[in-house]
Order: sequence, then structure tokens, then C-alpha cells
Amino acid sequence: MSARRIVLTSGKGGVGKTTTTANLGAMLAKRGHRVVLVDADIGLRNLDLVLGVEKRIVFDIVEVVEGRCQLRQALIKDKRLENLSILPAAQTRDKTAITELQFADVVRQLGEICDYVLIDCPAGIEHGFRNAIAGASEAIVVTTPEVSAIRDASRVIGKLQERGLPLRLIVNRLRPEMVRSGDMLSVDDVTDILSAELLGIIPDDEEVIDSTNKGEPIVLQTESRLAAVYDKIARRLEGELVPFTTFGAPGFFARIFGKAS
Amino acid sequence: MHELVQQEAPATSAVPRKRGRAIVVTSGKGGVGKTTTTANTGAALAATGASVVLVDADVGLRNLDIVLGLEARVRHHVLDVLEGHVTLDDALVTDKRVPTMRLLAAAQTREKDDVDTAAFRDLISGLRDRFDYVLIDCPAGIEKGFANAIAGADEAIIVCTPEVSAVRDADRVVGLLGDGRDVKLIVNRLRPAMVRRGKMLSVEDVNGILRLPLLGVIEDAPDVIVSTNRGEPVALDPASPVGESYRQIAQRISGTLTGVPEIPREKSLFEKLFGGRK
Ligand SMILES: Nc1ncnc2c1ncn2[C@@H]1O[C@H](COP(=O)(O)OP(=O)(O)OP(=O)(O)O)[C@@H](O)[C@H]1O
Ligand SMILES: Nc1ncnc2c1ncn2[C@@H]1O[C@H](COP(=O)(O)OP(=O)(O)OP(=O)(O)O)[C@@H](O)[C@H]1O
Ligand SMILES: [Mg+2]
Ligand SMILES: [Mg+2]
Repeated sequence: MSARRIVLTSGKGGVGKTTTTANLGAMLAKRGHRVVLVDADIGLRNLDLVLGVEKRIVFDIVEVVEGRCQLRQALIKDKRLENLSILPAAQTRDKTAITELQFADVVRQLGEICDYVLIDCPAGIEHGFRNAIAGASEAIVVTTPEVSAIRDASRVIGKLQERGLPLRLIVNRLRPEMVRSGDMLSVDDVTDILSAELLGIIPDDEEVIDSTNKGEPIVLQTESRLAAVYDKIARRLEGELVPFTTFGAPGFFARIFGKAS
Repeated sequence: MHELVQQEAPATSAVPRKRGRAIVVTSGKGGVGKTTTTANTGAALAATGASVVLVDADVGLRNLDIVLGLEARVRHHVLDVLEGHVTLDDALVTDKRVPTMRLLAAAQTREKDDVDTAAFRDLISGLRDRFDYVLIDCPAGIEKGFANAIAGADEAIIVCTPEVSAVRDADRVVGLLGDGRDVKLIVNRLRPAMVRRGKMLSVEDVNGILRLPLLGVIEDAPDVIVSTNRGEPVALDPASPVGESYRQIAQRISGTLTGVPEIPREKSLFEKLFGGRK
């Protein structure tokens, strides 16, 4: 089993876990890797919507675990990218319908048929979080440059480190002009506070809202401003050294984190 | 099933008991603005003189203290009270800007599973005897933390952004709240310009699916991000248009404002050039 099994998590809700899972997954598939995306948000699934495959769901992960169907029957193949599949979550069940061991076992089986398994973790640090990290071999912590998101990310990083999971950071929804005016934390502030390695920076862009509503990953859109951003993140994941775009600025957030910057 | 017999606790003081309203702010989807809404609606209600307590139900991932700028003053939390380590009065933090507002913080280093749902319900019931409004900030998701947060509330505010996934999650939560509660809707982070270009759902689109009484609509505004980072609720800034939207929501909750809420529209070129604020 050689696949990388990567969970995308955050603690705080709505910071962009699902959006990032869909776009990064699509980009990795476009770059020739076999990719399976797993929606771990049982009861509040969204990944199917963001990828526009909601009408094609027949079986879900709970039915796989309960033995009602084969794993391959539940996988939905993307029609635009043949290397990309998604394993949907159940919508009308509870996160407790699956145990950590069962979840880890599904992820392990998926790892045998692809190169990357990306797991879209639910918000919070409850049962759904424990399931989502159970089968992972590494983690991407998604955060926004906001005080509450960073505090939640720090709590999650602690939990990942307890499990010995290696992790890297994606800073999402950055607004460089707000960083410059001192109204938003800079990427350096964020990585310093969390003392974690940076994997990527994604600007705040209306394009994301539009694409999630349309169910069409940005990576597949021809005139996309952000495709290059996800491409860089995908290449860093592959191991390439890709320089970061820097948005330097001072911070004024010592209030919360007692950080002398 | 047993018939629940409500045992009236003996009155401990001569002060007549209130029967305040317990309102949970919830969404299903994360990050749509529950905490921001709780803080600003609470501050706007308290600024009118009502007594308000804000309860953070996000045990393990608390944020309400930060958004209110009270994080340095939190000494004790909900679980300290429930486990009998401190009294309720020890745990309540009084806001210095609006002294009729109190915060009951969540525990940061504990888990939602540590909270007993029935005990939490009793705590909310006790708070209703002392405050006009008990606002409960619900965590994202529909797990144990959600069950705790809704247990003691007989009213709910659904916060939803104009996005397909947020609407789907909100719809699921409305179903889980059941028929026994009065449920209303706040649409948050609307961008009128994107709606006009057909790139964002309109308030009518959202409520065409959810079909709830509309309490208010809040625009997507950078001031909100700045204010949550700084711990200064926009609702307390008399010059802020978004603050005014929160103040109107507070008036609709208290019943001093009626009629259909105003839906923010795109600013004309003239307004953009000559008058940012209304
Ligand atoms: N870079 C971005 N620029 C603008 N909007 C964004 C960006 N990233 C995410 N968003 C918006 O934020 C919303 C929340 O994103 P998403 O659903 O991916 O978050 P999440 O972390 O998966 O949420 P949840 O915790 O509920 O699972 C999306 O609907 C999307 O429109
Ligand atoms: N009207 C708005 N305009 C711009 N930004 C907003 C608005 N409302 C909320 N936000 C931003 O969105 C972020 C998430 O808001 P908030 O923390 O209130 O959401 P939440 O629903 O409580 O999240 P969680 O599910 O993690 O508890 C905040 O940091 C805030 O800056
Ligand atoms: Mg998600
Ligand atoms: Mg919150």
C-alpha cells in the first residue's frame, strides 16, 4: 500500500476544508495521479455538491461499512477527470454510525487502489474528527488568518501531534490588502503562532464561492485565477520545492497570543 | 414514557423570577457566523437595557470570548459550574462596555462528551430565571455539542450564508430542531453585487428552500472580520451600517420592530463615490 492518506482538518468550521479537498484532489488527478476523495462529514455532507456529483450518489460510506455494497460500487467516478473518484458520506445518518477502526479500514482499502486518498474532515473535534484522522498518514491543517480560526487550529494541531501525524498548514482566504492595512494577520504571523510548516496560501476570491455553488472545481475552469495556486500546492505535496508568494506586513495581534513580532 | 413532573425549586430570594427567553444560534455548517451573530445580537439587545447572558456551547473550541474581547477575563467555565467547582456568579464575566451583558465561557481543554445534556438544560433553565435573554452559541455540526446546545432552548436562530452547502446543512438542522421550537432565519455574508451577477444565491433563493420567518440579512463586510479579530462587536459601533443591521435584528427579537426586514441592495455609483455610510 503506497498511497498517501491525507486528512484535511481545521477545528473551526467553514474555513475551506471541503473546497480545498475538492480542488487539490482535482489538481492532483489532473497531474496524473489516481485520487480518491472521502467525505467524512456524515450527516452534513458537502463534498458531493462542491464536485457537482450529488445526483449520482447511489451508495455511501456507511453502507460500505455495513456490508450493503462493495467499496467500488460506492465510488463515484468524476466525468471530467478520469483519475478522480469520490466516496460520499451518508446524509441521513450519524457520525457514530461508523467506528474509528471501520473508517481506518476503508481508507486502507482505498489506499490499495490509488496514489492519494484525501479525507474531508468535519468541523469540530468530536467523533467525526476522530474517524477522519483514524486512517490518515499525514494531515493538512486548513486555517484562515483570523484569531478564532487560529486558536481552533492550534487545538487541532495538539491533537494531531499526540497521534504522531505529520502536518502542514494551508492559509486560506488571505486578503493581502487587509494584511497591509494591519487589519488581518499575515501568513508569517500564522505560521509563527502555530509553529507549523507552510504548504500553501490561497487568497480570498469570489471565484471560489461561484465554483462551489456551480459544483465545478476551479481547476477545471479555463479562465481561473486560482488554478495556479492549487497547482503549486499539489507540486509541493509531490515534493517539489516551489517558492511562496510573500505578502509581508506587521501584526497587531499580540493581544491573544502574546507574540512579540 | 414517564410523565415529567416539573418540581419547582423553592425560591431562594424575594426577587420575583423572570422567565427569560432561551435562544440557540445554530447552522449545521461551520463558519457561517454563529459566534459573530451571538455576540452582536447579544450586545445589541443588552445595549437597550435588557439583561443578557451569552453561553458558549462550543466546549473544546470556544471562540465567543475572543469575539467579545473578554478572553483575558475568563477564569471559570460552564463545566466548572456543572461540576460544582464554582458558583454560577463566579463564572459569569460582566462586559465593561455593556454592563447588562454577561458571558458564560466554554471549557477549552475539555470535550463536548464531558457535558451532560440534562445538566446543561437545567443550567439554561436556571439562567432564564435571572436574565431576559439567554443566547446560546452552538458549535458546528450535529453531534453531541449540538444536542447540548439546543436542549434548553425553546427558540432557535438559523444562521445561513447564501451558498448551496450552507442551505443544505441548515435544512437538515431545521429538521432536527423539530416542531417544538420557534425557528427564525438570519442570512449572513450576502454580497448584493454577486447576487445581481447571478453568482450568488439571493435571500429569496435561500428562503425558498428553508421557508422560515426572516429576522434579518447581514452583508459580507470586512468590518466584521476586523471587529471579530479585535474583540469589539460592530453592533456597538453607532456609525457602522452592519452594526445597524444587528441592532434591527435585536429590535425584531424584542418585538419593538415589525414588518419585513430590509434586504441590502447594491450601492449605486453615486453612493459608492459620495456616501459609504447610510
Ligand atoms: N479562498 C476562498 N475565497 C473565497 N471564499 C472561500 C474560499 N475558500 C472557501 N470559501 C467559501 O467558504 C465557504 C466554506 O468553505 P468550505 O465549505 O470548503 O468549508 P469547510 O471548512 O469544509 O466547512 P465545514 O466546517 O462546514 O465543513 C465555501 O462555501 C466557500 O464559498
Ligand atoms: N457578515 C460578515 N462579513 C464578513 N465576514 C464575516 C461575516 N460574518 C462572519 N464573518 C467572518 O467569518 C468568520 C466565521 O464566523 P464565526 O466564527 O462567527 O462563525 P461560526 O459559525 O461561529 O463558526 P464555527 O462553526 O467554527 O463555530 C469570522 O471570523 C468572521 O470574521
Ligand atoms: Mg466541509
Ligand atoms: Mg462559532
